[in-house]
Amino acid sequence: MEVLLGITGKDFTILAASKAAMRGATILKSSDDKTRQLNQHTLMAYSGEAGDTVQFAEYIQANVQLYTMRNEVELSPSAISSFVRGELAKSLRSRSPYTVNLLLGGIDPITQKPHLYWLDYLASCASVPYAAHGYAQYYCLSILDKHHHPDINYEQGMKILRMCTDELKRRLPIDFKGVTVKVVTKDGINEVEYDDSKQVISA
Amino acid sequence: MDSLVAQYSRPAFHNEGYSQEEQQELSQTMPGDISLKFALPPVAQPHAWLRAQTDDHANPSCPIKLAHGTTTLAFRFQGGIIVATDSRATAGDWIASQTVKKVIEINNCLLGTMAGGAADCQYWLAYLGMQCRLHELRHKRRITVAAASKILANLVYSYKGYGLSMGTMCAGVTPQEGPALYYIDSDGTRLAGNLFCVGSGQTFAYGVLDAEYKYDLSEEDALELGRRSILAATHRDAYSGGYINLYHVKEDGWVKHGFNDTNPIFWKTKLEKGEFSNVTSELV
Amino acid sequence: MASAFMQPGFGEAPGYSFSQAPTVAASGAREHSFYPYTDNGGSTLGITGQDFAILAGDTRSTSGYNINTRYAPKVFRIGSDDESGAGGHIVLAVCGFAADGEALKERLDAMVKMYRYQHGKPMSVKACAQRLATILYQKRFFPYYVHAILGGLDEEGKGALYSYDPVGSYEREQCRAAGAAASLIMPFLDNQVNFKNQFVPGSGVGHFLEAREPLPLPRKDVEELVRDAFSSAVERHIEVGDGLQMMVITKDGVEEIYHPLKRD
Repeated sequence: MEVLLGITGKDFTILAASKAAMRGATILKSSDDKTRQLNQHTLMAYSGEAGDTVQFAEYIQANVQLYTMRNEVELSPSAISSFVRGELAKSLRSRSPYTVNLLLGGIDPITQKPHLYWLDYLASCASVPYAAHGYAQYYCLSILDKHHHPDINYEQGMKILRMCTDELKRRLPIDFKGVTVKVVTKDGINEVEYDDSKQVISA
Repeated sequence: MDSLVAQYSRPAFHNEGYSQEEQQELSQTMPGDISLKFALPPVAQPHAWLRAQTDDHANPSCPIKLAHGTTTLAFRFQGGIIVATDSRATAGDWIASQTVKKVIEINNCLLGTMAGGAADCQYWLAYLGMQCRLHELRHKRRITVAAASKILANLVYSYKGYGLSMGTMCAGVTPQEGPALYYIDSDGTRLAGNLFCVGSGQTFAYGVLDAEYKYDLSEEDALELGRRSILAATHRDAYSGGYINLYHVKEDGWVKHGFNDTNPIFWKTKLEKGEFSNVTSELV
Repeated sequence: MASAFMQPGFGEAPGYSFSQAPTVAASGAREHSFYPYTDNGGSTLGITGQDFAILAGDTRSTSGYNINTRYAPKVFRIGSDDESGAGGHIVLAVCGFAADGEALKERLDAMVKMYRYQHGKPMSVKACAQRLATILYQKRFFPYYVHAILGGLDEEGKGALYSYDPVGSYEREQCRAAGAAASLIMPFLDNQVNFKNQFVPGSGVGHFLEAREPLPLPRKDVEELVRDAFSSAVERHIEVGDGLQMMVITKDGVEEIYHPLKRD
C-alpha cells in the first residue's frame, strides 16, 4: 500500500511518496521520506521490499555522484534512467535481486525540459508525462488521463496532485499517512509544504 | 435378500426414457416459468466441483469459460440517478462480445446493472422483475427500491457458497424514497449509497467520478461525467471496452441516453480537449 | 488400466469419467473423481439477413486427436413434426460436448412442441430464446458444456439470431461464431458482416475517416461467407472439417444444404 506519484508540467516535475513506513500490520514511522536526490536536478522516489529500497537508492545516488566527480559532467535524467535500468537489469539476473519500484523525475540541464521515468523491479523503463506505482495506479491514472496536459503550470500540477491524494485517502483501505512532495525545477529540488490533515470522505 | 433380488430383477429398460416427474416438467411450457430447482452434480461437494470446472481464476485451463469482466457505475444527484456501463464480455482472454447490454431494465422505473457472471445477473434480475410485478399486483402499488434490492440480496445469500458471481446495482425512483441506489453482491452485501462503481475497472471509474462528483451536478454534466468515467475505465482496464451504455433515472421512469462506441469518443476527447496526453503517435 | 491410455504418444487422451484414482470425500465415503465432460470439437456459426437466418456447423466429431465420425450434425430443427422438418421454424446450433448438445436439443424440441400442442400456435423465436436461457440456467450448478446459437425469424419476419454462454446468458446479434474455431471465424465475421474496421474511401484522413455502415447482406452473399469461413477454418484448425451443414430459415421454411469440406 505504498504510494508513488509523479507529474510533469511545462517547467517542473513533481514527485510524491507516501510517508508511512509499514511492516506487517504496523506503521513504524509516519514521516518517512521515500525519495533520494541524485543530483542538482534529478530526484528518485522508491517503493518495494524493505531494506532493498534504501540500499538500492543510496547505491544509485553514490554512483551518480561518483560519475560526476570523476568526469565533471552532470548526468541528465535520461542518462540516469538508462544507468538505473541497467543496474536493475543486472540485479534482476543476480542471486538476490533488488525488489524496488522507482519513479525518476527531473529537468534536463541543457534543454530545461522536464522528464519523468517509470521503472519497476523487472527493469522496465518508460518515459511518461505522469506516473504512479502500486495501488495508486488503479485510482490515479484515470484522474491523470483526464486532467493532465503537457503545458500545465506548477499550481495546476499541485491541484491535480491534490485530486490524486484525495482520491487515495477516500478509497484506499489503509492509511498511508499522507505524502511528502518534492518539486524539481531548473533552480533545483525543493520540498513542498503539503497539508495532509484534511479528512476526505467518499460521497 | 429380497431387496437384493429386486435390485437385480429390474427390467433393463427401467431407467430409460423420462420419468413421470421429468415428463411433467417437460410439459410445463408456461412462458417465463422460472423455477428455483437447479440440477446439482452427483458428487459430495457440488461447489468444489463446479469451481474446478468453471472458475478461471483458480484454474485457467478449466473447460467451461463463463462470461466475466466489466465496468459499471451509478450515482445519485439532484436530477435523479445516472447509470453507465461498458459493453465488453470476456471469457479468459477471449472477448466474447463487445455489445453486451449490462443495464438490465427490470421495469420502467427500475434498473439493474450487470457485473460478474453474465448469466447470473441476467437470470436473477429477470427473476427480480417478476417478483416486483407480483408485488405490484398483490399490493396495488409499486415496490420500493429498498424492498426490491432486499429480495435480490436475500435470494443470492440463500445461494451463498454455490459459486454465484454477481455485483449489481439497483437504481430507481419511487414516491416513498425518491431516487434510491443500492449495491448488492453475491456475498450477500447490500448497501444504500450515493455512488458506486463495480467491476474490474471500478477503480479507474472511481478516480474520475470522485474527483468531480457533486450532488448538485446539472443533468448534462452528470451524464457527461458518467460517460467520461466509463471511458477512463475502458482506456486503462483491458477487460472493459466496447460501447458506453448510458441511462438517466428520473421521477417518471428511466431514459436511455445512447449506446455509443468508445473509440470515436476516445479520439474526440483526446483531440478536442487534449486529454490522454500519455497517448502519443510516435514510438519513443 | 487408465494409465495405459495416458502415455506420451497419446497426448491429451479423452477424459473418461472414472479414469482417475478414487478420492476420499468429506463424508468418509469413497468417491471417484467426477469428470462428465469431453470436448467434441467442431464449430458453428450463424448470420442473419433482412428476411432469413442461416445457421451452419461442420460435421466432424472428435475426441482428443481421434475423429469419431465425419457426419455428426450440430445444427438441429426445433419443434418440427418429422424428419422432413415440416412445421419447424426454429433452428438450434450447439457445439462443445455433443452429448450435452443432444440432451439440450431434445429438451428444447420437446418444450417447443408442447407449447404448440397446448397453445395451438407455434412458439415465437423470442419466447423460445428466453426458454432456452432458462433451460441452460436450470443447470447453473452442473452446466451443459455447450455454446448454443438459436436462429429463426422474428414477429416482423426479420432474421433473428441469439447466442448463449454455457449457463444461459444470451444476446440477440447479427452474427456469431462458436466452438473450436470461433477465434478464427468471429474476427472475419466482424469485418465482413458488421463491416468493423472498414471505412468509406476518401471520406477523410486518419481519425476523420468515416466508418462503413453495416447493411443487411443478401442471402447469396451470406451463404458464400459461411462457406468461406468454414473452408478457411478447416485449413487452420484440426477439429474442424469433413462437411458443412447449413440451415437456411426463410418464410418458406427451413432448407438444409450440405457442402463437403476437406477430410484430412
